[in-house]
Amino acid sequence: IVDPFQVLVAANKAVHLHKIGKMKTRTLNAEIIFNLSPNNNISDAFKKFGISDSDTAVLIVLVVDREKMVNLEDIASQVEGQQVSLDELPQLTDIAKVKKIYKITPQEEKIGTLLDGIICRISTKDV
Amino acid sequence: AGAEDGAAGPVRDGAETGEPGPAVVEAPPPPLPGLQLVQQGAEARVYRGSFLGRAAVAKLRFPKLYRHPALEERLSRRRTAQEARSLLRCRRAGIPAPVVYFVDYASNCIYLEDIVGAIAVQDHIYSVQRSGSDAGGLLGLAEKMGQLLARMHDEDLIHGDLTTSNVLLRPPVEQLDLVLIDFGLSFISGLPEDKGVDLYVLEKAFLSTHPDTETVFQALLQSYAAASKKSGPVIKRLDEVRLRGRKRSMIG
Repeated sequence: IVDPFQVLVAANKAVHLHKIGKMKTRTLNAEIIFNLSPNNNISDAFKKFGISDSDTAVLIVLVVDREKMVNLEDIASQVEGQQVSLDELPQLTDIAKVKKIYKITPQEEKIGTLLDGIICRISTKDV
Repeated sequence: AGAEDGAAGPVRDGAETGEPGPAVVEAPPPPLPGLQLVQQGAEARVYRGSFLGRAAVAKLRFPKLYRHPALEERLSRRRTAQEARSLLRCRRAGIPAPVVYFVDYASNCIYLEDIVGAIAVQDHIYSVQRSGSDAGGLLGLAEKMGQLLARMHDEDLIHGDLTTSNVLLRPPVEQLDLVLIDFGLSFISGLPEDKGVDLYVLEKAFLSTHPDTETVFQALLQSYAAASKKSGPVIKRLDEVRLRGRKRSMIG
């Protein structure tokens, strides 16, 4: 994950498909993980974007109704770790690995950011 | 008027644009905060708004009720999908085009990056010609355009609707940083015929919109020919297509 916008785009797509009953996976959360992936292999998406035992950092995504209240401390208390600012995201990310997973071409990097390339792949994956 | 959640009321076709046709209740506008209608075209309505915090353009291909409904949905959907596909292809090949944020296949609406402050080449040429002073600026623009189109065609991507309003200049304009837009009529083809026609469409649009720009367009073609490895047959086809044009006799 290089930027929270990446997750927002994946989540927006998931919520949209959920609302019209056209998700590719069985749950909204699974759909978000699936949308983050550049390919259509669900288990691969989980391997790359879901959490695993070897992870040292996690990003928690919550989809809630506008009217519903959410107790963020409740959620945070379920995590054994230190909560850090999203500003630190770049330090937690292996950019080279991200480029490889999304197969970002060298030409692409000249016309936009890495995030731009990622967003395009997420939004046009099923075209 | 401040529609925060984008819930604008229905719009009557004829009243907005003077476009002839049945008055209809339109497809609902995209649900974007800060929504503003930018352009009402024959095929689609273009809006500006904020997509998850980013300046975005939403292009909504709406049903035309005079078309047969079965054809309707297919056409709108195909154009939306083609546009998304081509924009991805551009991105991968390093051809500057807007980022695609989201494609809504249910309403045939595509949400794209809004290139804030950009002006269309069309408007740039107007203002250069109006101000009278150019000092070769348009030739520099022509060179960049030729190179850009060469790269696009080398990827076997046919734009399908090349006009000077479908090429944008990022600010600051002097940098000649071009961006291609509006790929709804685009398709993939390696045929010199298709590329030649693509250039012909641009030529017609260029010369009819901008008087006295023959040398500018010539420069564009020269730049294209120099930049594209496959340009020979394309230019040849362009010459042939020109001869085929409307009101031209194909006799002998």
